[in-house]
Amino acid sequence: MTCEVAPPHGADHTLIEERIRLVKDYCDAINITDNVRGIPTMDSGICAHFILKTGAEPIMQMSARDRNRVLYESQLYGAYALGIRNIVFITGDHSLLGTHPQTKTVFDLDSVQAIQLAKHLMGGTDLSGAELEGVPEFFLGATFNPFADPLELQAWRVEKKRDAGAKFFQTQAIYDLERFQIFMTKVRPLNVKVLAGIIPLRSKKMAQFMRTRIPGMRIPDEVVSRLEKAGAGLESKEKKAAICAEGLLIAEETINAVRNIQGVHGVHIMSVGWEESIPGLVEACNLYPRPILR
Amino acid sequence: MKLKPNADILEMLEGYEKIVLFGDSGCAQLCDVGGILQLEAMEDFLIQNNKKVLGYVFVEGGLCDIHATTLEINDNMNMLREADAFLIQACGVATQVVTDLIPEKESFPAVDSIFLGVMPERFVHHETCVMCGECVLHLTAGICPIARCAKGMLNGPCGGSMDGKCERDGETDCVWQLIYNRLQSLGKLDNIRRIWGIRDRSLSHSPRTIIHEDF
Ligand code: SF4
Ligand code: SF4
Repeated sequence: MTCEVAPPHGADHTLIEERIRLVKDYCDAINITDNVRGIPTMDSGICAHFILKTGAEPIMQMSARDRNRVLYESQLYGAYALGIRNIVFITGDHSLLGTHPQTKTVFDLDSVQAIQLAKHLMGGTDLSGAELEGVPEFFLGATFNPFADPLELQAWRVEKKRDAGAKFFQTQAIYDLERFQIFMTKVRPLNVKVLAGIIPLRSKKMAQFMRTRIPGMRIPDEVVSRLEKAGAGLESKEKKAAICAEGLLIAEETINAVRNIQGVHGVHIMSVGWEESIPGLVEACNLYPRPILR
Repeated sequence: MKLKPNADILEMLEGYEKIVLFGDSGCAQLCDVGGILQLEAMEDFLIQNNKKVLGYVFVEGGLCDIHATTLEINDNMNMLREADAFLIQACGVATQVVTDLIPEKESFPAVDSIFLGVMPERFVHHETCVMCGECVLHLTAGICPIARCAKGMLNGPCGGSMDGKCERDGETDCVWQLIYNRLQSLGKLDNIRRIWGIRDRSLSHSPRTIIHEDF
């Protein structure tokens, strides 16, 4: 069980600790996102350091959008020095979708190549072949989107990421179980560890926003209409509570369903600002308490 | 290429009265920025704004052809001597060619040079090459992933490719979908099955120079 927490949109690190405290006992490791859609937030490596200080296990996300190979190498050394061991490499949503569309994107590497780079550093030399003063050792992770096209190429990319060195995968949020099942038939033979992605929905507006503004999301109509029905006939606070409850129920059902899909080894809950939802959701799925690790 | 906004052109020509316009029958004309029609329109516009347009230098072919441009300049020497400044209705290369050939006067860009591409129909242009320095089209079915993927990915597509469209705007085709379709029809999908290794980006570091061997 992993979950995802967003870094502060500013310099207040106590917010990380606050958010982590809410979820830390309900998962085994915590992803910290990296400037999602190019919207600047506190550095994921620095946040991961604060996560470690709370006693939780961080998973640092690194996107290819904003850094070249030099910065990757430099930040990976630093991350290891800070005690960060889990890294998830992502390509990164295009910054044209965020708040800083005027920026220059980098994409020196793509996510497959970034994993290759990290794996290379673990061999003791940098990309130039120079020996490292201290060799980092990481647990490398990646993502995949079962809903992106073309399906065959997306599955090959999972294979490429595995071959590059990724040991575990977290998926895009799942609402369309049918397509996820089909995708898993392609992923299963690759023998990789898969954590199925979940985002609890808390309003119809959020569902619509994700459909139109977040790349690679597939939210079937019936999910949206379930939220709608749950709130029907109710007003303000009650309406909101009913919709949230339905969103959590959908998430719970999805978690139970993916746990029965062969090749799925865990669940990855992305709170997108609704960290409070995680404890109840994990408990409802009988996944609490978490086993003691180490 | 796109003509700059009128206000920008007037701003850069402030303090200069007698102007000569430059255009060519190649890219400048094809892109509707520096053909005879656009030179005439620019002349009208400048006259309305109290400038004098002494005339045109119009090169058959491209202003980037230094020899052709030199000949045209020599033919128009008297007019050019009289001018206060030149306005170049062609790409940035053209403006610099004229700057080099006539360094004693200033040449100003009337155009924003945007990309290298195709023109499937008049007035419509698509970017298709960013001159990356190492062409990979033989592996990608003749479709460029570097210029035409919003992230320039080599191990594409990203997780935002849906229903054939790019995550960036939902209208542009995802080039990796196009590459996939065409490689499939060519029976060459294996080309993109292997990991595409980290690329040597030094090949695209500007400024670049090529010196061909004589043959
Ligand atoms: S790979 Fe693309 S950008 Fe590079 S030279 Fe070929 S067409 Fe141009
Ligand atoms: S959707 Fe396709 S074209 Fe757009 S960034 Fe992703 S891989 Fe590139």
